[in-house]
Amino acid sequence: MSRTLAGRATSITAVALAATLVAACGGGGGDAGDGKIKLSIGVFSDFGYTNLIKEYQASHPNVEIEQRTVKMEQHHTQLATQLAGGRGAADIVAIEEGNITQFRQSKDKFVNLADHGAKELESQWAAWKWNQGTTDGGNFVLGLGTDMGSLALCYRRDLFEAAGLPTDREQVGALWPTWEKYLEVADTFTRKLPDKKFVDTAQNVYKAILDQTEEGYFAKADDSFIGDRNDKVKQAFTLAASLGEKKQTGALAPFSQDWNVALKQASFATTTCPAWALALIKAGAGDEASGKWDVAAAPGGGGNWGGSFLAVPKQTKHPEEAYELAKWLTAPEQQKRIFKETGNLPSEPAAYKDPEVTATTNEYFNSAPVGQIFGNSAESLKPTYRGTKDSKVTPVFGNALSRVETGKQSTSDAFDQAVQEARDAAK
Amino acid sequence: MTVAPERATAGRGSGPVPPSAQRLSWRDKLGRLDAKYTPYVIIAPFFVVFGIFGLYPLLYTAWVSLHEWQLIDGDQGFTGLANYTELLSDKNFWNALGNTVSLFLLSTIPQLFAALGLAALLDRGLRGRAFWRAGVLLPNVISVAAVALVFAQLFGRDFGIVNALLGFVGIDPVDWRAQTWASHLAISSMVVWRWTGYNALIYLAAMQSVPKDMYESAMLDGASRWRVFWSITVPSIRPTILFTVIVSTIGGMQLFVEPQLFDPGGTATGTGGDDRQFQTLVMYLYEKGFRLFDAGYSSAIAWVLFLVILVVAVVNFTVARRIASKG
Repeated sequence: MSRTLAGRATSITAVALAATLVAACGGGGGDAGDGKIKLSIGVFSDFGYTNLIKEYQASHPNVEIEQRTVKMEQHHTQLATQLAGGRGAADIVAIEEGNITQFRQSKDKFVNLADHGAKELESQWAAWKWNQGTTDGGNFVLGLGTDMGSLALCYRRDLFEAAGLPTDREQVGALWPTWEKYLEVADTFTRKLPDKKFVDTAQNVYKAILDQTEEGYFAKADDSFIGDRNDKVKQAFTLAASLGEKKQTGALAPFSQDWNVALKQASFATTTCPAWALALIKAGAGDEASGKWDVAAAPGGGGNWGGSFLAVPKQTKHPEEAYELAKWLTAPEQQKRIFKETGNLPSEPAAYKDPEVTATTNEYFNSAPVGQIFGNSAESLKPTYRGTKDSKVTPVFGNALSRVETGKQSTSDAFDQAVQEARDAAK
Repeated sequence: MTVAPERATAGRGSGPVPPSAQRLSWRDKLGRLDAKYTPYVIIAPFFVVFGIFGLYPLLYTAWVSLHEWQLIDGDQGFTGLANYTELLSDKNFWNALGNTVSLFLLSTIPQLFAALGLAALLDRGLRGRAFWRAGVLLPNVISVAAVALVFAQLFGRDFGIVNALLGFVGIDPVDWRAQTWASHLAISSMVVWRWTGYNALIYLAAMQSVPKDMYESAMLDGASRWRVFWSITVPSIRPTILFTVIVSTIGGMQLFVEPQLFDPGGTATGTGGDDRQFQTLVMYLYEKGFRLFDAGYSSAIAWVLFLVILVVAVVNFTVARRIASKG
């Protein structure tokens, strides 16, 4: 009796343990029994890969591809723990521009794509995009660029009309060649429509202005923290904060639930919009707002916001096959098709200058020629240097602007506190 | 697990033992061993699993906390107690501790009183008893993410229902996320909503074992329902109250999901409001470990949190027991 019971208990424990261990190990791309190579690709939001994957599988019968999609924040946290644990990461992982500096520090956990011939591809991308994906003076290729954000400004035509402002996108763009002019338009708007907000959040205005400068929080030369003495940071902060002080912003957390509600209620008139934000605006504002939003050029010339890279973690069993797939997915031909399907802007001149792309209009946004607007913005952008600790410092200034918007602090107090916190974070 | 004791027996059996005893002992000894060790063998799986998934991570965390440890790249060198000394002078840590205690008090005290009241109501002969009893548990079985989503809507600043209701009685809209007290109230309401029914059911189970004749004699003596409740019901279920206090303490000090999902910045900033006004200890741990990749510091927070919970639980226990013995 004792034997059987104890034996059963042990075997149950053993089975339970084995099960959990297997569960813990699950996810590492094993191979199917039928001799096919199984690749997994981990992305967030919509990379537009579903149809492309089907096509790739058809032309490569020995490859089976699994796409895993999670929310953006979770995606990067999960990736970090998977790299730390040495297992569980997909064979190809997407990394967003804002996060890649952090992962660049741990490049040992990734395959150097240069070993597989990635350097030959360099000329495909805009130079700044290529550089963001590399490290070690360009000798270590961490990721191949997918899309980019570019920058435009979206505005609501009906609210502009009610405020006596022009509604034509060329004329609207001409209203604000600079951010100072943008603030003047805000004042005109608020005088006419005091109950509506001119812009959703000061945080995004700030980010857009700062991303148009060559250096932000960190020095290009030696990656040291200069956020406390870089005038550009203070200028951008003061400009954006003045909108908050005058209560011209909705004081909304960008892309939050409240932001969606405010979109639906048409309670703000403008928002900074990188190419990928069009889909978010459309989803938030809903079908009834079709044709009410439009896209104009952003103040201060072009800019970039967002965009991602495909990298291959070292733990993969199939670095060569993973590289081949990443190379194919990021090639201009595929980027063009993704743009048409999802609106994610190509990061390769051959793709974003292609007539097929530049001729693209977006019906929802009053048939705005988005291909042309974002393409132009991409051409004129000055890439901003992102330091290794950029992602640690950025939220500190976002929080500070939020404190100004909600009236908790004056601009100068908020800025001083932010600089102090940023110094600590960059230590 | 079974092999070891048997081998030991075999070893002893070969020694100089009287032949008569040896003849009898095979079955006899086995039976005695059975009685002696089987209980341990049966509970062993729990301890094995606890050892692997509880104790080992606990000790490993302690080890990590003594190092500068980067989440992805791992060990960057032994630093002794440096993480702990830094923590003690870190004002964000004290802020998070204060928020945690405030949220704990704001949610646990009303929750347990409401649960007592609810249990007392359920203990009466209601129609459709099973329905009501299952009903109070409903908030607890709904996913916390869904609850947080709904409450975030209710407490919306511009279009939230709570502000609309306040508007009816002439109170200005409240920015529930911006102000410290307002955010604490909103988050506590979420916790109270989720856990009151659960605790009520536990109290109800205890109340039903209170002898009915005590109530009857009290009623005969002319005691009011209120008096009966406080003088008979509550003292009789004291051990259960003690249990819920301890469990709520442990849960309350580890509060994470509700405030995290209430934060519109989400885990992208992870600061619990623009001035850390509702960042709890676990949120701070998460920010340090998983957004800033400082696993060493994060582990130190985890250990301090563990010690804080231990202290609070012991204090709770002694206070609650003293009250009980006074009764």
